[in-house]
Amino acid sequence: MRFWFTEEQEKFRREVHDFLQAELKAGTFVAKSGGLAEGSSQEFSKKMAQRGWIGMTWPKQYGGQGRTYVDKVILNEEIFKVQAPVAYHFLADRQIGPSIIHFGSEWQKEYFLPRFVRAEENMKFCLLFSEPNAGSDLVNVATSATKDGDSYIIRGQKVWTSGGHQSEYGWLLARTCFDPKVPRHESCSQFILDLRLPGVTVRPIINMAGRHTFNEVFFDDVRVEKRFMVGPENEAFKQIMAQMDYERSGVERILQNYPIYQKLMEYVKKINKKKVGEAFYSWVRDSMAQLETEFQIGRLLVYYTAWTIDQGRKPSKEAALAKAYCNQYEQRLNDLATRVLGPSSLLREGTPWAAFDGELAECYLWSPSYTLQGGSVEVLKNIVAQRGLNLPRK
Amino acid sequence: MDFNLSDESKMLKSNAEKFMKEKSPGSFVKNTLKEEKGFSGALWKEMADLGWLGLIHAEPYGGSGGDFFDLFVLFEEMGKAVFPSPFFCSAVFAGLLINEAGDERVKKACLPGIIEGKKILTVGLQNDQGFYDYQKPALEARAVGKDSFRVRGTCLLVPYAHVAEEILVCARVMKGSRSSGSTLFKTRAKGPGIQLTPLNTITGEKYFAVTFNDYPASAEDVLGSPGKGAAYVEKVMPKLIALKCGEIVGGLSKVVDMTVDYVKQRAQFGKPLGVLQVVQHYCADMTTLSDTARMIAYQAASLISAGLPCAKEVAMAKAWCSDAYKRATQIAHQLHGGIGFTEEHDLHLYYKHAKALEMEFGDSWVQRQKVAEEMGI
Repeated sequence: MRFWFTEEQEKFRREVHDFLQAELKAGTFVAKSGGLAEGSSQEFSKKMAQRGWIGMTWPKQYGGQGRTYVDKVILNEEIFKVQAPVAYHFLADRQIGPSIIHFGSEWQKEYFLPRFVRAEENMKFCLLFSEPNAGSDLVNVATSATKDGDSYIIRGQKVWTSGGHQSEYGWLLARTCFDPKVPRHESCSQFILDLRLPGVTVRPIINMAGRHTFNEVFFDDVRVEKRFMVGPENEAFKQIMAQMDYERSGVERILQNYPIYQKLMEYVKKINKKKVGEAFYSWVRDSMAQLETEFQIGRLLVYYTAWTIDQGRKPSKEAALAKAYCNQYEQRLNDLATRVLGPSSLLREGTPWAAFDGELAECYLWSPSYTLQGGSVEVLKNIVAQRGLNLPRK
Repeated sequence: MDFNLSDESKMLKSNAEKFMKEKSPGSFVKNTLKEEKGFSGALWKEMADLGWLGLIHAEPYGGSGGDFFDLFVLFEEMGKAVFPSPFFCSAVFAGLLINEAGDERVKKACLPGIIEGKKILTVGLQNDQGFYDYQKPALEARAVGKDSFRVRGTCLLVPYAHVAEEILVCARVMKGSRSSGSTLFKTRAKGPGIQLTPLNTITGEKYFAVTFNDYPASAEDVLGSPGKGAAYVEKVMPKLIALKCGEIVGGLSKVVDMTVDYVKQRAQFGKPLGVLQVVQHYCADMTTLSDTARMIAYQAASLISAGLPCAKEVAMAKAWCSDAYKRATQIAHQLHGGIGFTEEHDLHLYYKHAKALEMEFGDSWVQRQKVAEEMGI
C-alpha cells in the first residue's frame, strides 16, 4: 500500500505543471471550466505531442511511450486543473487510439496512430453512438451500413455528437446485420467515418447553457470504403464494452469544473465570519469539509481505476463506480458553490457582479449533463451490480 | 500509488479472516455477548499466542515491532466478524498510551502482560455524558499531602472494566483551587473507592460506568508528566481512529456480501430480488460506500504506517467511514426485509456496530471540523 507517488512521478507532474503555467502566462488559454467541451486547439495539441504526451500509454511500436495509466492520470490531472484546451486530440488519445490498437487493421494503425501522436491536422474525432431512439439502450441503433461491393452505404441519424462541428472524423456505430433472428448486440459494426464525405450533414444543437458543443449528424447514403470498418463485421458491442471502460476511467470526470472548486476554496478562506454570521459560517465550514472529503475520495477512485488497468485487469466495475461517484460529486460541487456565493451566482458571464465572472452560473447550467454523458449514472449502477456483484440480469 | 497489500499484510489478513470465519461466526458472537465475561478466554489466548496483541509493540516487551498497517488489516478482519474482545482497549489503547507516557518501570510492568494476554487494561476517558473529555477532564484528582491524590468522578463507557486489572484515566489535578490540567493516571479497576456499574448498551458489549469515590492514588500512578495527559492521548489518537476505520471497512464489506448473497437467493414475484433494478441500484450504492470507505481508510492507515503527516486524511477517513457504514446497514435492512429485523439473523450485529463505531472518537460532524481546520477554514 502506497498512497503517494514515486519521485519520477512527482518530477513528471512538475514538468507538466511548469509547461501549463508557462502557457497560461503566455495567454495561450485561460483556466476556465468547460475546457474539454470547448477548448479545441490543434496548435496546443501539437505542443503536447512534441513532449510525447499524446498516446503515452500506447506501445512504442505505434508511436506511444509505453507508460502507465497512473502516469497518464497525473498528466490529465494537471491538464484539467487548469482546463487546458486538449479537445482536439483528447478523444483520439483516450479511446479512439486504444480501440484501433486493440481492434483495428494494420492499415488503420499505420495511418491513424502516428497522426494522432503527432497531433497532425484534420485528425479530430467525435463519437457517433447515440441516436434519437438509442440512448441508454445503445443496441437499438437504427443507422444502417449496407454492404455494396467493397463499400458500405451509411444511412441514418446520430445525436448528442460533441464536437461534431469541429471534427474531421467520427467513430461510428451502425447496424450491419438486418436478420431479426440475430440478437441486436451481434448485429452492429464500428466504422471510422470521414465527415467530409458527400451525404454527411452536421447540424448544431444549442444546449440549455446556451452553448453549441453538440450536434445532430445525418447520413444520406454516405459511401464508406470497407477498409474503414473496425475489426470483423458485427462485433461492435464486444469492442465497445472494452472501449467504454477506458472512456470512463479518466480523471476528467472529477475535474470538469475544478476551477469552481479552487475558486470556492479561496473564497471561503476569505469569508468574514462576523459579517456572514456564525450559523452560516458553521454550515459553510462543515459543507466544505464534506466536499473536500468527497473530492479526495473521487480522486483516489480514479487513480485506483488507472492502477487496475496497469495491473493488467479490466476495470469494468471500478471505472463505472468511479464515474458514477465523480459525476454526482461534480453536481454537488456546483450546487454548494451557488449556495455559498448566494444570489450573485445566478448572474451570467459578462454581467457585472456575477459570481466568479459568471463561470459558476455556467457550470450550474452544465450540471445535469454530468450524470448523463458517457453512460448515465443508472446505466453505470447496472454495470456495478451486474458485472461487479454478479447480480442476475433476468 | 500502489494499492497492493504487502505479502506480510496479505498473509496476516487471510489468516485472520480464516480464524474469524471458523471460530467466531455470528452465532458465537451472540452467545459470547450474553455471557458475563463478554469475550472468549480461549480465543483470547490463541490470539495472544499468534502474536497479534504484540504486533506493533517493541520487541523488548515481547512484541514483534511490526508494521501498523498489519494491525489495521487485523482490525478489518475483526470488524468483519464483529468480534468482541478487549484487544482494542487493552493491547492498543492502553498499550499505546503506556508506551507513549510510561517510564521504563511502567512499561516493563505492564506491556509484557498485555502482550501475552495475561493482563487486561482498559481506558476511561469519557465523561458522564459519554463524551471524550481528556482535554478538560471532569474527573478530579485532589492533591492530599505531597504524594497522594483522591480521585473523584465518573467515567462512562469503559470497556471490559470487569476483567481489567487497571484503568487509564485523565484527571484534573487540583491543588487547593489551582488546577494543573489533564493528567494521565493508572488506577486499579476494583477495590476501595471504585464502583463499577454495568451498562446495557445497544451492541451488548461489556461496558461499565466507573465511579471513583475518593479513590486513593499515589504519585507513582501518574503516567508521564503531570498536565500532559491530553497530549499523550492526542499523540496516539490517529492510530486509534484509523483502527476503528479498519473495523468499519471490514464490517461494511461483510454487510455488502451478506446483502448481495441474500438478494440473489430470495425469490419474490417468481424471480430473485436481485433481478430488480431498484435492488441492483441499492447494491451498487452499498458497494460504492464500501469501496470508498476502504480507499480513504487505507490511505489514512498507510500514511500512519509510513510516518507521514495524516491529520486531515485520518479525519476524512473517520468522517466518511462513519456515515458510510451506517448508511449501508440501513440499506441492508431495507433489502433483507423482516428477516433482518430478527434477533436470529446476524444483520443487527452490524447495524449496532455501525452506530457504536460512529460515536467512537467523534461522528462525521466532529471529524469534519478537524478536516476544515486542516484545510485552513
